[in-house]
Amino acid sequence: MRLVIARCQVDYDGRLTAHLPMALRLIMVKADGCVAVHADGGAYKPLNWMNAPNRLVEESGRWTVTSPKGEQLVITIAEIISDTGHDLGVDPGLQKDGVEAHLQELLAATPTTIADDLTLVRREFPTDIGPVDLLCRDGDGRAVAIEIKRRGEIDGVEQLTRYLEFLNRDAALRPVRGVFVAQEIKPQAKVLAGQRDIDWVVVDYDELRGMPSNELRLF
Amino acid sequence: MKFRCEREQLVEALGTAGRAVSSRGGSLPVLAGLRLELAGNQLTVTGSDLDLTISAQIEVAGDADGVAVIPSKLVADVVRAMEPGAVQVTVAEGDAEIAAGRSDFTLRTIPAEEFPQIAGAEGDAVTLDAEQFADALKQVVPAASSDDSRPILTGVLLAAEPAGLRLVATDSYRLAVRDLPGTTVLDEGQQVLVPSRALSELARLLSAGGAVTLRLGEREASFDVDGVVLTTRLIEGDFPNYRGLIPESHPNSLTINRSELLDAVRRVRLLAQESTPVRLSMSPDGLELIAMTQDVGQAHEALDAAYDGDELTVAFNPDYLLNGIDVSAGDEIRLETVDALKPAVLRTVGDDDFLYLLMPVRVS
Repeated sequence: MRLVIARCQVDYDGRLTAHLPMALRLIMVKADGCVAVHADGGAYKPLNWMNAPNRLVEESGRWTVTSPKGEQLVITIAEIISDTGHDLGVDPGLQKDGVEAHLQELLAATPTTIADDLTLVRREFPTDIGPVDLLCRDGDGRAVAIEIKRRGEIDGVEQLTRYLEFLNRDAALRPVRGVFVAQEIKPQAKVLAGQRDIDWVVVDYDELRGMPSNELRLF
Repeated sequence: MKFRCEREQLVEALGTAGRAVSSRGGSLPVLAGLRLELAGNQLTVTGSDLDLTISAQIEVAGDADGVAVIPSKLVADVVRAMEPGAVQVTVAEGDAEIAAGRSDFTLRTIPAEEFPQIAGAEGDAVTLDAEQFADALKQVVPAASSDDSRPILTGVLLAAEPAGLRLVATDSYRLAVRDLPGTTVLDEGQQVLVPSRALSELARLLSAGGAVTLRLGEREASFDVDGVVLTTRLIEGDFPNYRGLIPESHPNSLTINRSELLDAVRRVRLLAQESTPVRLSMSPDGLELIAMTQDVGQAHEALDAAYDGDELTVAFNPDYLLNGIDVSAGDEIRLETVDALKPAVLRTVGDDDFLYLLMPVRVS
């Protein structure tokens, strides 16, 4: 990653023409060839940029960035204030929050949050079409398959329905009933679950992990 | 049993009674069925999940009296699918034959003797204005909880007040109170807790207007609406002391046009995703609504409003706020607040019969 602070003027010629008058700016040249010109404001969007692949030709006081489509970004540099480079290495990628996995972990530890009489048999219980999140037994010893989602939508009910179909083929388990668990469940998903004799339970993630909820109660 | 009637009539009776049939099954398989009883020209269709029972009576051309239990969803689907016109139902030797035009269906019945005897409430009959009662139910029932782990909160409290009947419901995040002055249903000081599910079904039945006759027993309540009798078990237990939750005074008061606020909250709510609240920023300049969801975007809307009090920003669950505004009557409503963490009260200006108490959401 090369970071150049420079007083510069930028002219773009491609799908349209754009001109940035002479001013102090940050020019980012990324390892993959992206070139972006930033002002000192705005969260993420550059004033002008050229996506990789590009060809950058540096001449005295003038950089020319050309894309394979013929677009051209010409940066006329009057003064370079700073020019530094850093090797950032391989990016590990965006990690989405692990709410769903953490919910599964928390509910596996306390399945009674879902129903008073549940005891855990196994997390990630395997079926031929993939693992169901939790397999439990209820107070009468009957198997209960639990699918956990952050947002409970119709897809989740469909998924649990497929798991139940496979689990109910196992003579050692059947009859297996299903419980759909989520932080919030869409009305359509509730209706579909009801039609398929699947119970649904809404859980409070913050409460499960011992954090005070922002939703204040009257009592 | 044998009778003839118009398809639409039968569809309606089966649909009405079928709303009490649990889709989840249960300990009694017979409850997946509807009980049809023919006496002369009176056909009574009954569905029940033991907590809620709905019986619908219709006039038919009766040919042979009898009783049968037929799978609820199947019979309703079959009759609904018939060509318009007369339908003939004949039950014999465990089969129900349903015929209309050139269609002929035979359904296996469920032994009728397994259907439980469900007694209606035996108290004195009291007649209420259906429209007024439906209006009150619409305001209060949505505030009841749907969480069966706290059964008390799944009910609506019907309480005798000196001025009349009071309906109260809360899910612990909000509380709705509606008074029906001059309506005397209960004895002095008496109160009962009626499941909100039963009252939701009752509200559907009341939409046609007319009158509703209420009977209260010790453990059940029956509502009779135009040939349909809805009987529900009462919930046992003590309802929370809601009176103490209503702040005695509010230093801040915002008066605003109800429909403008309703429309604005509906719009702004689009950007209150993933359980984020809607913020109400109140000042003498008016009201500003703000909703923001990280990585999605934000919404602002300014509204004209009369505000008396300190500048204050309070956040609410948008669904609960919207429900309160929606069920309030009148053109102008007043939002009374203490601070960002204490319950706020929503009222209709000039009408003290309805109150909606709403807990804020804590924001940084």
